Amino acid sequence: MSYEKRQYFPEERRNEMGRQKEEVLNDLALAVIMMDEEKARVVAQEALQIGIDAYEAIMEGLTKGMEVVNEKYEQEEYFVPEVLICSDAMYAGLEVLRPHLKAESVTSPVRIVIGVVEGDTHDIGKNLVRMMLEAAGFEMYDLGRDVSLPGFVEKAREVKAEMICMSTLMTTTMDGMKRVIDLLKEEGLREGLKVMIGGGPISQAFADTIGADGYAGNAAAAVRRARELLAKEVRA
Amino acid sequence: MSKIMTDEMTPKERMSAALGGKPVDRILCAPLILNHASRALGMKVRDFCTSGRNMGEANIACYRKYHPDLVFIFSTTSTVAEAMGTVMKFPEDDAPQVLEPVVKNREDAKKLHPVDPRKDGRLPIYLEALKRCVEEIGDEVFIIPVFGAPFTTAAALRGTEDFIKDLYRDPVLVHDLLKVSLESCLNFIDACADEGGVPVAVDPIATGSIISEKHFREFVLPYLNEIYARIKSKGLPGVLHICGKIKRIIAAMAESGATILSVDDIDMEEAKRLVGDRVCLMGNLKPAEVMFKGTPEIVDTAARECVARAYDSPGGFILASGCEIPINTPPENILAMMDAARKYGRIPISPESWQ
Repeated sequence: MSYEKRQYFPEERRNEMGRQKEEVLNDLALAVIMMDEEKARVVAQEALQIGIDAYEAIMEGLTKGMEVVNEKYEQEEYFVPEVLICSDAMYAGLEVLRPHLKAESVTSPVRIVIGVVEGDTHDIGKNLVRMMLEAAGFEMYDLGRDVSLPGFVEKAREVKAEMICMSTLMTTTMDGMKRVIDLLKEEGLREGLKVMIGGGPISQAFADTIGADGYAGNAAAAVRRARELLAKEVRA
Repeated sequence: MSKIMTDEMTPKERMSAALGGKPVDRILCAPLILNHASRALGMKVRDFCTSGRNMGEANIACYRKYHPDLVFIFSTTSTVAEAMGTVMKFPEDDAPQVLEPVVKNREDAKKLHPVDPRKDGRLPIYLEALKRCVEEIGDEVFIIPVFGAPFTTAAALRGTEDFIKDLYRDPVLVHDLLKVSLESCLNFIDACADEGGVPVAVDPIATGSIISEKHFREFVLPYLNEIYARIKSKGLPGVLHICGKIKRIIAAMAESGATILSVDDIDMEEAKRLVGDRVCLMGNLKPAEVMFKGTPEIVDTAARECVARAYDSPGGFILASGCEIPINTPPENILAMMDAARKYGRIPISPESWQ
């Protein structure tokens, strides 16, 4: 592998001998898009070796890749298995790059708490949304599935989240979402927080009924909606 | 204004006539009442689905309450997988859910055996419920035990997320799981047919909301072909239910050998255009928005629109919900759906007269 050879060159020559930065960033994105976990890991290491800033490699490589994955998913060229494996590739690259993030390059990210509401263990949809939001640069706190309703509120308070995302596939548990919103009000936290919901039985009409700020029908839409809702917040 | 006429045929007569291409009094109407049947006797769901007697008696009472054209025996889509070793949890008043899939690796997969429906898991409960229903109301209505097709069963054996990743990472394991799941399903079909039931396969994990048509054709369709070949060999009609988005896979669904496709998230006119000449279509009132959260008026309107879109589908049409009637659906909404079939589905159907 040509990548192996490059390690024999001295540090200062590696950049000029090595591949162009754009090429490497492009390869990072491609590794994600092509569902290639191993390649994502290898190229992430290469990026560090030729001196690409870890933050840039994440944002211009891995995240760009996930944006394309997102588009392909929305256009029904990719489906859930493809997105899951692309995400695995993204996480493999992240694992290599994250330890090298410089404090000054990390602007404080927007925090989002996410989970499947109490009584429901179906979590693939929620996982997709978490991955997509994470790829879009949000800091995600994933409470998992069958999450107690006060658990959402407690976590949001603890991490100073700006948004709570809830999902469920079941009609028996959907009303728990309203309960969380009520709890937020009781605790005086509703004003500073956006609430976005989704899942099989959930609709915009239901979101309106329970006073949620947003509804998203799929993971790609969830990213757009989160950006809209949180941008509005910043302007206000 | 359309009047509500009383039924002139029993559900069984109506279904038999429709399947044989003979005249019927009105369109068929089959709300997918599954765990909601527990409510007919005021039971908690756990009590309902863990006792053959309860499941049977509740379904009998439910039939007498609503007179649907089909009676379903169902608890979860993972019941076959449960009988093969997947561990379920049983909330007091909700449908059981997968707690611990049984297959963690290839070694676990080798240990799997096809089910014995008389012994394994809760399949004997289904069979007892079926038997009670057939004895009590089987002269009037077809009794339909519902099971997860091989793809959905295999997903519950492995855990859905790992399973669908395995489509890329370990297709050999996937096919191994599908083969043993198929054997289990076939055993269950045999047992149901012996008891006088009409077994129906549901494959919600094979939905177009999750997998591509390419994967559907590779991992789903060949196994469904075997399922419907077996069901047809018993002289029974094949019904396939897949919920979620199905536009991209409905053509492949029509190749499964099923004669009736129960559909969810698709425009019925589009479904009619795509496969209406080849299969009977069944659908698709929205379970949550219309049936659970709606009112009788909303149900009536939705049913009328659905009938108007699909009644003239060449292969036939059954008014149904797109997926399971939510457990806590108000009974008046189900009655409104049945009444809508009597109002708008009276033969001959003429949407012009509904003003």
